[in-house]
Amino acid sequence: MMILASLPPKDEFLSTMWYLVETYSSFFIRGVVITLLLSVVGTAGGFILSLFLTVLRTQEIDQRRDRLGSRIIKRIGRGFAKTYITVFRGTPMIVQAMIFYYGISPLRLSWWTPLVAGLTVVTLNTTAYIAEVIRSGINGIDKGQMEAARSLGFSRRDAMFLIVFPQAIKHSLPSIANEFIVNLKDTAVLSVIGVFDLFRATSSATSSNFRIVEGFFIAAIIYLILTYITGKVVQKLDVLLEKKEVKANA
Amino acid sequence: MPNHILEIRNIHKRFGDQIVLSGVNLDISEKEVVTIIGSSGSGKTTLLRCLNLLSEPDDGHIYFMGADLMDTKTNLEELRMHIGMVFQSFNLFNNKTVLQNCTLAPMKLLKKTKEEATETALNYLTKVGMQDFIHQNVNKLSGGQKQRVAIARALCMNPTIMLFDEPTSALDPEMVGEVLTVIKNLANEGMTMVIVTHEMAFAEEVSDRIVFMDQGVIAEMGTPKTILHQPKEERTKAFLRRYRQS
Repeated sequence: MMILASLPPKDEFLSTMWYLVETYSSFFIRGVVITLLLSVVGTAGGFILSLFLTVLRTQEIDQRRDRLGSRIIKRIGRGFAKTYITVFRGTPMIVQAMIFYYGISPLRLSWWTPLVAGLTVVTLNTTAYIAEVIRSGINGIDKGQMEAARSLGFSRRDAMFLIVFPQAIKHSLPSIANEFIVNLKDTAVLSVIGVFDLFRATSSATSSNFRIVEGFFIAAIIYLILTYITGKVVQKLDVLLEKKEVKANA
Repeated sequence: MPNHILEIRNIHKRFGDQIVLSGVNLDISEKEVVTIIGSSGSGKTTLLRCLNLLSEPDDGHIYFMGADLMDTKTNLEELRMHIGMVFQSFNLFNNKTVLQNCTLAPMKLLKKTKEEATETALNYLTKVGMQDFIHQNVNKLSGGQKQRVAIARALCMNPTIMLFDEPTSALDPEMVGEVLTVIKNLANEGMTMVIVTHEMAFAEEVSDRIVFMDQGVIAEMGTPKTILHQPKEERTKAFLRRYRQS
């Protein structure tokens, strides 16, 4: 009753926004923290897992020298990586969230909370996208790099790890940072399974007073600030990397 | 019977329906310098790339120090360590400095310590005149400098034989000389080499034997004097006429 009493009239947009910020600041703060957590874990985890996927995917079968067993294992690995990427890129994350959360919930695992499910889904989803980014990075590396390494006596695997992957990953860094920005926004869909991210926090803050437009206007501003700052930080990092390279060459 | 480093026996190679090599036989003796000439599309680069199996022949045998590279049980990686290769487009590792390009393989493959590998690398980089650039990023070098580093990189593995795939074709004219000088010095020191080149004057000067290739076979081979000045085959004559006109 106290809260309702101080709620500004309907046509006072700005003061309503201010009212919501003041009253529900703990909601918004928690929402931002969870959204950031989802994005950081999702992007970092996705990057690490995508490396495994890339290793599986870039295996080449030597028809003359590989034994039947290793040919089959390589084929299974490549097939898995391809299928994984197709499935996770080809379905909406909101659908993936529903299937994972409600698919595993019946096992009654005490730790399988909406947040854990959300972290899992955003990580698995980002893995597929970053794997695709790194793949195009690898395609951009001149074939001569691999040939030179092979001519010195390196195995294909060593040549990949020492020469091709480091260059491909470096070229992919801007796109990987972009995945982080995408995650800041797209993790909003995880509220569907009850993750208390910024979207759900805003929903909660407006559920009793129905000032939905004002509430989500605040959310929009916060999302914009997060993506804008991240974008700027990435730009700065790019410049720093360039500078470091120039210095190393001087 | 001279000591053969490489014995190439009847190798065949096709890309799709295009026959690139059809039955090439060639022996390379120790300390011998063999250059391969021929018009583009004659199969000379493919032949060279077959010698360390970067391109795999469809048929035939390649014996390196007696071991058949075409035998699937042969440890290719082990043998490639002894076969140095220099590419037309240099192919220096872009994520490494000049020095790292030269020490990576000796450290990882020959298990040399960093100090040993660096010492060897400095020795060869000095030999090719690149000692002042060791900490540079390779992307900042000129073509001639890159190629000299590429030669040093191959030498750091202490190879038994060196393969050169058109080492000056991607260079600006004023940089051809510096690279050819390095290769000539190697020849004088007794390095066994197979060189694919378009530089006829260089071939004449450096070679013990010149191989002229045409349409996937060795059309003629012999001393520089015979091939370049008294060729017997009509197609060799035609090739040299075209070359001298251009």
